[in-house]
Amino acid sequence: MSKISKEKQLWIYRVMNEIRYFEEKAYELFAANKLRGSVHLYTGEEAIAAAVISQLTDEDYITSTHRGHGHGIAKSGDLKAAMAELMGKDTGFCRGRGGSMHIADLKKGHLGANAIVGGGLPIAVGGALAQSYLGTDRVTVAFFGDGASNQGTFHESINLASVWKLPAIFICENNAFAITVPVTQSTSVKDVSVRAAGYDIPGVTVDGNDVYAVYEAAEKAIERARKGLGPSLIEAKTCRWRGHWTGDPEVYRTREEVAAWMEKCPIKRMRAKMLEDKVATEAELDAIEQKAKADVEEATDFALNSPEPDPATVMDHVYYEG
Amino acid sequence: MAIKTYAQAIRDVLAEEMRRDDKILIMGEDIAEQGGIFGCTRGLYDEFGPKRVRNTPISESAFVGAGVGAATAGLRPVVELMYMDFTYVAMDQILNQAAKIRYMFGGKARVPLVVRGQQGIGRGNAGQHSQSVESLFMHIPGLKVACPATPADAAGLLRTAIRDDNPVMFFEHKALYATKGEVPDDPDFAIPFGKARIVREGTDATIVTNLLYVSRVMDAVKELEAEGISCEVIDPRTLVPLDIDTVVESVKKTGRLITVHEAHVTMGFGTEVVAAVTNKAFRYLDAPPERLGAKMCTLPFNLGLENAVVPSKEEIKAAVKRTLHL
Amino acid sequence: MAKKIIMPKQGLQMTEGTIISWLVKEGEKVEKGQPLFEMETDKLTITMDSAESGTLLKIVRGEGETVPITETIAIVGEPGEDISALLSEASGKPAAEAPAETTAPEPAAPEAAPAAQAQEAAPADGRVFISPRAKMRAEELGIDYKTIRGTGADGLIVERDILAAKPAITPLAKKVAELSGVDVSAVTGTGAHGKIVRDDVLAAARKAPAADRDTTLVPLKGMRKVIAERMVESLHTAAQTSHRISVDMTEAVKVRDAFKKADKKLSYNDIVSYAVVRALKDFPIMNSELTDEGIVVKHYVNLGIAVAVENGLIVPVVRDADLMSLEELSAAVKELAEKAKNGTLGPDEYKGGTFTISNLGMFGLDSFVAIINRPESGILAVGRIAKTPVVNDNDEIVVRPMMELTLTYDHRVVDGAPAAQFLARVKAYLEQPYLLL
Repeated sequence: MSKISKEKQLWIYRVMNEIRYFEEKAYELFAANKLRGSVHLYTGEEAIAAAVISQLTDEDYITSTHRGHGHGIAKSGDLKAAMAELMGKDTGFCRGRGGSMHIADLKKGHLGANAIVGGGLPIAVGGALAQSYLGTDRVTVAFFGDGASNQGTFHESINLASVWKLPAIFICENNAFAITVPVTQSTSVKDVSVRAAGYDIPGVTVDGNDVYAVYEAAEKAIERARKGLGPSLIEAKTCRWRGHWTGDPEVYRTREEVAAWMEKCPIKRMRAKMLEDKVATEAELDAIEQKAKADVEEATDFALNSPEPDPATVMDHVYYEG
Repeated sequence: MAIKTYAQAIRDVLAEEMRRDDKILIMGEDIAEQGGIFGCTRGLYDEFGPKRVRNTPISESAFVGAGVGAATAGLRPVVELMYMDFTYVAMDQILNQAAKIRYMFGGKARVPLVVRGQQGIGRGNAGQHSQSVESLFMHIPGLKVACPATPADAAGLLRTAIRDDNPVMFFEHKALYATKGEVPDDPDFAIPFGKARIVREGTDATIVTNLLYVSRVMDAVKELEAEGISCEVIDPRTLVPLDIDTVVESVKKTGRLITVHEAHVTMGFGTEVVAAVTNKAFRYLDAPPERLGAKMCTLPFNLGLENAVVPSKEEIKAAVKRTLHL
Repeated sequence: MAKKIIMPKQGLQMTEGTIISWLVKEGEKVEKGQPLFEMETDKLTITMDSAESGTLLKIVRGEGETVPITETIAIVGEPGEDISALLSEASGKPAAEAPAETTAPEPAAPEAAPAAQAQEAAPADGRVFISPRAKMRAEELGIDYKTIRGTGADGLIVERDILAAKPAITPLAKKVAELSGVDVSAVTGTGAHGKIVRDDVLAAARKAPAADRDTTLVPLKGMRKVIAERMVESLHTAAQTSHRISVDMTEAVKVRDAFKKADKKLSYNDIVSYAVVRALKDFPIMNSELTDEGIVVKHYVNLGIAVAVENGLIVPVVRDADLMSLEELSAAVKELAEKAKNGTLGPDEYKGGTFTISNLGMFGLDSFVAIINRPESGILAVGRIAKTPVVNDNDEIVVRPMMELTLTYDHRVVDGAPAAQFLARVKAYLEQPYLLL
């Protein structure tokens, strides 16, 4: 029986479903040529964003990645702004200027998604620095992937956060592939979490598709950070069901591999657990799923009907002019 | 008014601003107890303590990026790079993050960050520690770029940089730290960005220059004066925003333009000045504009070689005379 | 939008004006209607108001310069405005075309741009390289740069080459130089940017070899110059001849005395003027003007009364004199004479005359012959009133106050007989004033 409150579990379940439907809808829209550029889908990794962010307030920060729709939806709660930003509309998070890879919602503590692999880690350190400097007990979570764990910024950022004892939580979403290159080819260790020892901080590897496992690991790290004891590294092993980018032929793995992971679907697993623990009924959970689907539809309509940003305003916001 | 060195002027502004606004913190290598390798933060650790005056590990990406993140989150960090050559090490955080966050996030974020440090020739620091890199940052939208040539300009521009809510790249010069000049006592003394300084008025040619080369150009100008040639010398002080109007008005008067800087000549900021002025004051030009800058060669260690790379006094005079068809 | 300030035409016969002084400095703001400059015309010195509001961007013609009417003398606009187009227009403008009835000592020579002095040959391949700034200067100064040799790199024509070029010369000055055999290369120009103007050539021409005697040179300018021109023009144009008649002013004396007793001061000239006006109504052909279209007979009388002023003469005009009573006419003449002496006549007060009276009796002249004041067709010269022995109807010699009137008339317009009749009518009105009732 999980210690997580029913309310929170339902929140997590709802958010995971929103993410799932959102990503599937994004895939559909992309295939229908309604989205510009590319989208990097989070399908299959929902548990990580939902479980971690469910424990954060609006004053806690996150930084996110190119694969950041999940983090964005979980932290901001605004499906409409998310879908509108994917479509480059004026009603998007970034008024159409950022797109899929640069979602941000500062008022909800989302310091921004970064398209530079590893680019968000130093910024997360900065967020944690501000929180510590101002004497709050807030924390900053940096989401990144296995690929980023090999970037120089990984090393520098965790080292700096550790030395300054900053309230940062580094969450490595290890889905085993950096575009087409598997971790076995790129990463010197099997578990990224062992690198934590190199910075004298706690490091732990969990099943990224197990909401409860992720929740528990995050809970510890968050508490440690809030107490001013410094950063932690959590590695959540998972799988992205879709290719790196929409249109990725995925020559680097087999259908069977993916199918095996899909069996371990985090949503299915959480549903089963909640039913088992009698936290919720089928009907309740169905309703949540339906609502999530409907909300995504609504967000899509909203986005489709939203106006494009006016080209005459293109030069706005290069500088803050007071 | 007080007579201060360039370094003192910088330090005093840092101290005054940190007293005024407790959101300001400074970080960089060796800046705390040591007071910075060039002495620009001397005494600040004693006054403000380790929370606000932080030594960083040698992790430019991390601490410049931390500056970006902290600024986005509401603080006003001033990051010192020991050599502005090291902006290259942290380029992603400067050009992809600091410069772009505001715009990419639809104007919903501000990055009130200052990245400051020294650069340039003068200490035999060889190729990777003697560069003048300010021109690169003119090219990427979202940043502001300041280059003070005097203690007063250092004080006035640094104050504006700190109070500006945009990311500012602040380029000091190692050979100017010990120079002395008058600095106003006013704790709000600030020089607005985008306002060039006419260092010397003249009638025959307009020379645009910055940082160390302001004084080197003045040496050449004095010798030209004795030959009856009167040069107007302009220091833009900020490259972004750039006060091109002052230069244009000057060239309308003189008809001749020469740009001189320590940065490499190709795509150094002189290139932009020449292009902009030619466009705006074409019919006033009596000669093709001249650009002088370091030759396209890595700065050598040997002093004689270094002098052969950067613009010399003779080269400056010759360029002026070429515009006068002499 | 920058605007030109031009030398304005202020008199019917004005062809040029001399700028005496600028009242606003370059760079200063000026409002429409604000005094901008002083100038001297053929008749008088006047202060001109600015026709535009803005900043006085450039003074194109300076103090002391004589400028043909309608030429640009300054430019008013907003600071920083590009006025190069207006400036090049100003320098290239032809001499103002003279209106039909005025004297035209300036030949109407609408050459587009003043020719530059020939310099050394242009480059062989025909293409001329000049710096943008030098080109701008060349346009400002009205210099044709194609024949100038450049001293910049590879023969580039640069600013100093333009500034060193022989200054421009107006087409008129060039012509005068040819006619009077003056070598222009020795002439210093006093026009804008050293441009040689006609006066410079004339000045050079007048430099006679050292005189044997002491002489004083009185420059022929301003009013004197114009009078000189007008007189010659009048004589060359009209077929002028004159009639003389003696008038017994006994009755006129009585008229004057009667007015004097009634405390109304009247001069003999007022009485003569009144008589003349009435006679003009009787013989309107004397009150006419010969134009290209024909003889324009005017049915209104604008009477000019010649007034001697310092260094010249001016003819104030009483408009609609035919509608005035004797007293009104007297008052009007008095007022105008006052203004004429003070130099405060307005343009309306010396333009548009139809007939002129000139009185030199006060100098003791018995009679004299005046030159017609163009474009009128007649002028009456009045001599002194002198006690003269005359023979009356009874063949007795009696002493009478006699006055000689001499009418100069344009024989193209009026023949001897009608002119004589007019003059006889004037005499009749003067000798029998009750005919004026």
